[in-house]
Amino acid sequence: MRIQDLAQLSTRMFKTNPMRTWLTILGMGVGTGAVVVLVGLGFGLQQIILEQIVFGESLLSLGVSSTGAQGLRLTPETVTQFEQNEAVLDAAPLARFPALVTYKGLTGNVFVQGVEPPYLRYAGITATAGDVFTDEDAGDANSIMISPATLKLFGVEDEEIDGFIGEKVSLRLLVPADDGTDDVNEIVIDKEYTVRGITAEEGVLNALMMLPELRNYVGIEEYERIQVRVDTNENLPLVEAELIEEGYRVTALSKTVEQASQIFQGIQAVLATFGGIALVVSAIGMFNTMTVTLLERTKEIGIMRTIGASPNDVKYLFVSESVVVGFLGGLSGILMGVTLGVTVNIFLNIVAGQFGGQAVRLFSFPLDFLAFIAIFSACVGYLTGIFPARRASTLNPLDAIRYE
Amino acid sequence: MAKPLIVCRDLSIIYNQGKSNEFKALSGVNTDIFEGEYIILFGPSGCGKSTLMYAIQGSLPPGEGTLLVKGDDVYSYPPAERVYFQRHVMGIIFQQFNLIMSLSVLDNVALPMIFCDRDKATRNRRAQSLLDRFGVGHVSHKIPAMLSGGQQQRVSVSRSMVNDPKILLADEPTGNLDSVSTQQVMDKIDEINTFDRRTIIMVSHNAAHLSYAHRVYYLKDGLIVREVVNPQRKQIKPVKEGETIVTELEQLARLFPYDSIETLRVKSLVNYLTQDYTFDQLIRLEKATSLFIQGKVDRKAFIKALVLSYERGGVEIPEKEARRIASVSEKMIKNADDIRRYRARKDNSGIFFSQHKLAERLKEHLLQVYRIKLSKEQNENMTELIADRVTGVTGDEEMNERLMKGIRSGGLALSEKEADDLTRYFEKVIAQGVDVSYKS
Repeated sequence: MRIQDLAQLSTRMFKTNPMRTWLTILGMGVGTGAVVVLVGLGFGLQQIILEQIVFGESLLSLGVSSTGAQGLRLTPETVTQFEQNEAVLDAAPLARFPALVTYKGLTGNVFVQGVEPPYLRYAGITATAGDVFTDEDAGDANSIMISPATLKLFGVEDEEIDGFIGEKVSLRLLVPADDGTDDVNEIVIDKEYTVRGITAEEGVLNALMMLPELRNYVGIEEYERIQVRVDTNENLPLVEAELIEEGYRVTALSKTVEQASQIFQGIQAVLATFGGIALVVSAIGMFNTMTVTLLERTKEIGIMRTIGASPNDVKYLFVSESVVVGFLGGLSGILMGVTLGVTVNIFLNIVAGQFGGQAVRLFSFPLDFLAFIAIFSACVGYLTGIFPARRASTLNPLDAIRYE
Repeated sequence: MAKPLIVCRDLSIIYNQGKSNEFKALSGVNTDIFEGEYIILFGPSGCGKSTLMYAIQGSLPPGEGTLLVKGDDVYSYPPAERVYFQRHVMGIIFQQFNLIMSLSVLDNVALPMIFCDRDKATRNRRAQSLLDRFGVGHVSHKIPAMLSGGQQQRVSVSRSMVNDPKILLADEPTGNLDSVSTQQVMDKIDEINTFDRRTIIMVSHNAAHLSYAHRVYYLKDGLIVREVVNPQRKQIKPVKEGETIVTELEQLARLFPYDSIETLRVKSLVNYLTQDYTFDQLIRLEKATSLFIQGKVDRKAFIKALVLSYERGGVEIPEKEARRIASVSEKMIKNADDIRRYRARKDNSGIFFSQHKLAERLKEHLLQVYRIKLSKEQNENMTELIADRVTGVTGDEEMNERLMKGIRSGGLALSEKEADDLTRYFEKVIAQGVDVSYKS
């Protein structure tokens, strides 16, 4: 039998029994729709979380700090040494000193951190207000970024953060004396810095400035931390292992992401299970329909067999019919699921907008996932059709033709 | 000598073998069917005639014996190849038409070609030309449910011919059709046999069809009880001289298809002993009388048909006898009409007078035929008796008895001979005049 004839013969049920056919498709559709919307929710949640913690290059970076135990120190030489590793594109250091910050007569303790702009990218530091240092700002000597906690020192409320951009603060560095005693030398920086941005780091008292500017006032022998940018994802664990081997303490954001992903895969699996139950229920319904159709068509099968249809022709007719129903069920399920997801999302965003919240995409439907669902539902159709089809093809034509 | 197209040797088919409801549908059947033959498998229901046909068709594997079609044992092939044989060698027509209701007439006819992977243009052209040939081309776009039974069966004939098969199988093709459609379908099947030279194997229990066939196999209880050659058709099966002769029994078998060969022999003898006419004369006499009773021919034409020589299509009986037959028939018909009128009014008491008059008339007629003179009392009793018999109050035996009873006890006191003659004649008149399906 030719494909086009098979297609024509196996879509007859839309004419002969449109009501039942569409109801079967709808049943399959509701089942797959449940899977689509629930897994879509899983994808959406995962994306929201990952968007919060993943910033481009920061996923490919390792934060290296000294354990202090084996006398390992992070020095300018260490930076060069790291950069010599072939898998390492760049290494950006961070130097840290305690300092006093003064704003309009109020003084508080902070840590001044001297970094180069790439460090901010590798560490994933962003600004909640104002601007981050970019590569052009490498030689900047007049501005700093401070953490939200520092603002608290000056009694600035959360709502007034934006207004603090452009304010001037002055700094006094507290540098340990290099004569072996516990004394601290106070180095007064005789100028005022403009606050260019507020970081997103919670719970720390920090002020960020450019490393060259910091060097103008204090000699830097040792770094607090070095961010190592690895070239590819594959090399990340290798470099990490090497560094740990050498005795450094290494933290990787990718690990956090991985853990988050694992959690979300778990959540998705739970959601998919619920959807799957709906799908199984509708598949059983479809199986039932196909079996009833078989009984109804028994006589027709007998007729076809006696006028020259082979057992395989009969089998193909049945299977293709159920595949068509399954596939259309999948498509309608995708349509229903996506529509429901998008509608709920729009509704939620309107509500969130009313209460001053941020717009989020709670549901996400990747194309390959939808394609998988469409193919999967066709497979479910095939599975529900194959057993009735086999039975149909083995019927004795004579018994079949006399069936009423 | 040409080889037969289909050969069955000791063919047995057993349904539900090994189960408690085991049933032997065919037990040791032998047939030789030659190319171009028109064969009818005839017999009562349950005799195994359809079983034999479907075994030949390829859907019922024989339990024992051999079945060869074109020299091949089709059941030795795997199902897929057997299908090829069914597609190209066999066409089939069913009693129930068995068209697929969800497909148009054209697609129904083209369906066997769809299974043969033929392209749409070719098969539609072929299907349409067949539909045109069998007179249903104008409904090709409709669905089968919109067609009459006769049309559906002609569509089904078209479908059976679409792959140009060698053998056409027909399972009581006219069982569900009215007489006009039956005639059309039988003519088409005959045309396929005589014009297209296809072998026809038809299952039937309608004796009227037997004259179409070359040979008829009579089946009973799973056995072929006899094989009857139709002397009116030139035989295809080679006949060895002196081996088979065509006898009167062949003719009788078509007249009385359900009787055994022994009964037919008895019939043949009794006919000779009691009748002056041969079976052929009787058949022609019946035909002519039927036309006369129905009023399709008048008395003159009736007599002419009876007198005409046998060679010219008449019954060939003497003119005097013919006139007697005509006049008796005429009188009977007239009186039968009176009986019909009488019965039509039997529930209507308001016009009893005219009913009484009808009974009087019937009485007069009866007395006239047998030239019997009656007293006044006898006359009254006779009228009453006739009224009772015509309304059904008395049966024929009771009437006979009352004719012989004394006058005082309501009878006529006739002799036994007179009573018997009168009863016999009157029963014939009643038989003519009573509608079988009268109103309740």
